[in-house]
Amino acid sequence: MKFTLNWLKEYLDISLTAAEIADRLTMLGLEVDSVEELHQGLDNIKVARILAVEPHPDADRLTLCDVDAGEETPVRVVCGAPNARAGLVTAIALPGAILPSGMKVKRAKVRGHESAGMLCAEDELGISSDHGGLIELDDSLVIGQEISQALGLVDTMIEVDLTPNRPDCASVIGIAREVAGFAGATLTPSVARKDLPALTGTGSSFSIKVEDPENCPRYAARLLRNVTIGPSPWWLKNRLLAIGQRPINNIVDITNLVMMEYGQPLHAFDFSKLAQGTIVVRRPRAGESLTTLDGVQRELNPDMLLICDSEKPVAVAGVMGGENSEVSAETVDILLESAYFNPVSIRRTARNLKLATEASYRFERGVDPEGIPVALERAVRLMVEIAGAVVEPGGVDVCGTLPDKPLLTLRVRRANDLIGTSLTAEEMAAILTGIELGVEEIHPEYLKVRPPSFRVDIEREIDLVEEVARIVGYGDIPTSLPMIPMSFAEQDKGRNLRRKILGIMTSLGFSEVINYSFVSERHSDLLALDTDDPRRNGIRLLNPLTEDQSVMRTMLLPGVLENVRRNIHQQNTEIRLFEIGKVFFSRGQDEQPEERMHLAAVLSGRRHPGSSLLHFGQESVDLSDVRGAVETILQELGLLQSISIVAAGDDAPGYARKGTCSSIVNSSGSSLGVIGRLLPEVARSFGIKQDLLFMTLDLEELADCAGEPARFTPLPRYPSVTWDIAVLVPDTVAAGDMLKSIRESRESLVEHVELFDIYQGKSIEKGLKSVAFTITYRSVKQTLDDETVNRVHQKIIQKLISDFNGRLREAS
Amino acid sequence: MMEEELLRLRDEALGKLAALASGKELEQLRILYLGRKGLITGLMRGLGQVAVDDRPRIGMLANTVKQELEESFAVRAGELAGAEGGAADAPGIDCSLPGRRVPFGRLHPVTQVMDEVCSIFEMMGFAVAEGPDVELDFYNFEALNIPKHHPARDMHDTFYVNDSLLLRTHTSPMQIRAMESARPPLRMIAPGKVYRCDSDITHTPMFHQVEGFLVDRKVSFADLKGVLSVFCRKMFGDATSLRFRPSYFPFTEPSAEVDIACVICGGSGCRVCKQTGWLEILGAGLIDPEVFRMVGYDPEEYSGFAFGLGIERIAMLKYGIDDIRLFYENDLRFLRQF
Repeated sequence: MKFTLNWLKEYLDISLTAAEIADRLTMLGLEVDSVEELHQGLDNIKVARILAVEPHPDADRLTLCDVDAGEETPVRVVCGAPNARAGLVTAIALPGAILPSGMKVKRAKVRGHESAGMLCAEDELGISSDHGGLIELDDSLVIGQEISQALGLVDTMIEVDLTPNRPDCASVIGIAREVAGFAGATLTPSVARKDLPALTGTGSSFSIKVEDPENCPRYAARLLRNVTIGPSPWWLKNRLLAIGQRPINNIVDITNLVMMEYGQPLHAFDFSKLAQGTIVVRRPRAGESLTTLDGVQRELNPDMLLICDSEKPVAVAGVMGGENSEVSAETVDILLESAYFNPVSIRRTARNLKLATEASYRFERGVDPEGIPVALERAVRLMVEIAGAVVEPGGVDVCGTLPDKPLLTLRVRRANDLIGTSLTAEEMAAILTGIELGVEEIHPEYLKVRPPSFRVDIEREIDLVEEVARIVGYGDIPTSLPMIPMSFAEQDKGRNLRRKILGIMTSLGFSEVINYSFVSERHSDLLALDTDDPRRNGIRLLNPLTEDQSVMRTMLLPGVLENVRRNIHQQNTEIRLFEIGKVFFSRGQDEQPEERMHLAAVLSGRRHPGSSLLHFGQESVDLSDVRGAVETILQELGLLQSISIVAAGDDAPGYARKGTCSSIVNSSGSSLGVIGRLLPEVARSFGIKQDLLFMTLDLEELADCAGEPARFTPLPRYPSVTWDIAVLVPDTVAAGDMLKSIRESRESLVEHVELFDIYQGKSIEKGLKSVAFTITYRSVKQTLDDETVNRVHQKIIQKLISDFNGRLREAS
Repeated sequence: MMEEELLRLRDEALGKLAALASGKELEQLRILYLGRKGLITGLMRGLGQVAVDDRPRIGMLANTVKQELEESFAVRAGELAGAEGGAADAPGIDCSLPGRRVPFGRLHPVTQVMDEVCSIFEMMGFAVAEGPDVELDFYNFEALNIPKHHPARDMHDTFYVNDSLLLRTHTSPMQIRAMESARPPLRMIAPGKVYRCDSDITHTPMFHQVEGFLVDRKVSFADLKGVLSVFCRKMFGDATSLRFRPSYFPFTEPSAEVDIACVICGGSGCRVCKQTGWLEILGAGLIDPEVFRMVGYDPEEYSGFAFGLGIERIAMLKYGIDDIRLFYENDLRFLRQF
């Protein structure tokens, strides 16, 4: 909602500055979005009269004008405007003036002739975008006066960001009422309610029939004859221009001005276009359509409300008029409408038509039902004054059941308890009276209040409590801390797990990313998911912003891969990224989907990102790095015993390179996630050309695995010894299985086993490989002697030999 | 015999080890005895020729000797390195070289700020609960006093899945879910992702919010001011000045917006605060009696307040980020700054 300071002062005698008003309004809940000084710096631009015009001898389109700019002698300027004529009162920018465009006016030679200034069009003055010719000013203006003063251009525009509950403030008078409240001034509207004529309907040459009184409880109209359609006087144009509206003609401008003034939208019909001089307010008939003023043909549905004549629709009620009854230059008689429409009906219609107008904005929030005749009378008076209209006496006001305004009880104690104040009944009454809320009874314990019709938002006691708090000022309400019993919240298991993993991942060098929960449907294809993969059935949004954000994700990996591409494009090839977030699986129409928390991570590029090549070479990450990351997570969560990583085999995802994939499985064998190397074709489809390793993990499943709680083990008192073994086994044997076999031998002295070498090649028979382990032995009871160690050591050797068809590797 | 030879080599090696004076000599000595073609290694290679009965015993001895020597070499190497490093003018060491750093990842700035916000409220005893992102229209709107054709729906550009399912536009539905399943006193925050169909330099279609509420007997607007003042001071510093001003939300009444003095200009007016000197940081209010009725609480018995704040906005102010879209581009050059 925009208004100007000068406009506000039409109804109030105040001396506050715009900044003061803006600050107070903001603190009253009418948040001021901007305060803009209008038409600053129009110095040295004056009202001037063209005395004589002669053609420029050397240029067809230019003229030489002698201009009276209020100085002793006329000035001569070169002009290119088509409407330059002797006698025209217009504006001249004299040398030294700076136009709003930043152009500096100087004495100049134009095609050989001296020009001592510049005659201006409206756009050059920053008044409008009109560049059709010189601005045409009223004859009565004082020649030589500064244009900004002569036209009342200097003003301050204030824009308020209205909340939906305050339609009464979508009007300058509504704002003025709030200002009057804090400034202690008296509001004087342009039409006093006591001066309203009675709209009896007798003797009218038109008729109004409301067929849907529920959606149109009040419809008033008057007939104005013999209007002269033309441009509006400057003061009216200036009001509209100052708040960014384009003047059209005097009739339309008046309806717009009154809407901004009172918050009541009005509509003017060309009476001659209304069949049988009749208005019918009704629902559309089958097949009816209407071309609205914006030139769009609108399909109508039975929910909408129309204004019709005896034959056809002429307007969509409360939203926009029809082209077929528009006021034009030929219009002679006007039927002027002022009505109250059901807010929900208007809102539904505006939504259906995707058409939001200044009128629908006000109607759908609720106009003042009692303000209808007031706005009508104001517009009628202006049309008489400005357009020479002759008002037909009578006029019609069809008034049904309006929203009622019940008498509300405000309990003083309740209000004080809720706000935290200790006001008396009298103090509260004074506050409410100050903003025109009718206090009908003051009792020490309660007030009886009847809210005025324009405050559509006040319906309950709590609404009055809010008004009291608002006017007291939130800043003046005391500050305290609640007295509330101690309580201990249940810790969210999933959230705790996530926080731990966040810490582990960052210490492993991974940076966290956050992607949108909606993704492109193409992701499934890019990953080459099987056609029957349930992850293809992502939930679709009805109204996505773009196709790239149209489906709720079922996997995190594609989003992270998009991040990888972006970073590689930015020449960042050392990649360690992870995301923790939800994926979504449908449980059927109308059911809320299953939401599961997942983790996805990717590694690519150097193994020691960010480290000097001096210390660590160019070596790249490989499968062991990603597996190590998963092992570290499991170890830190105490899950190393209950979760294992096994070769994936046939159920490996299609986007992993064959044979590189392992499953992360729980003790009952079900898979919580995978690790692997991305298939190069898939990587390329994401625009990634470098080798990339990934892991995914379902955190819901992980949270269900019971980690072992930390338990103290006494520190060993005796030293350990480490012995090595090298065994030759067929090269098909998985070294990890041998490691597992040693661990599972459950020999009590074995403290730790490390796989330290796998060797094939020179000096090793073809088809075999040498696998070497370091075993750490320790006893809790004694320092181990070689004999004891050897006994166990030999047993382990024998076990490896027999389990894996191996033999001891002799030193050679 | 092999046993004597082993022990002799051991003593010989230990003697020489004690006498040498540089790392280089030590390495030569190590190769001489323990290298692939070294004396001990060579001797052990002959193990195959030893009588089968003796093999385990002699093998064990060989292992012990080898291990003892390896340990002695390691100890001596340490001593020598200490001596060399200890000399201030030790040649060949360039102390200006960069160190070997361990790469450390970063948490997304949204996560960091979210944690900070949550932990302040957790310190005040608020529980944390997270709800579904795909929410029922009922919880997101109806139960929060926003019926189907309410103009307040304009404040939320909503993504719909179908007529009754949508992507939550705020985390306020958790208020309803929590109150439906528990009785006061309650204090809880609900952090999470929220969605609105809007995308420009100050809006992304997904962002993060923390919603919070407190319900008990005799909770007042003054209490709301108290709790949120504590939060703002903990979050933005003790000297932060703040103001509460009236606003409108359908599920609170009276409603408020909370501004802090602009963190960029300190209150004198700049582009970020649109010359007002203030930055809006929170929406809040007393829970509307209609909302209590929806969850079966008696509004005459209980009162409470609710508040909500946007994490990205706070992160932008805290770090001076001028384009919200950067949060979701996940460019490492961005992520590594926080």
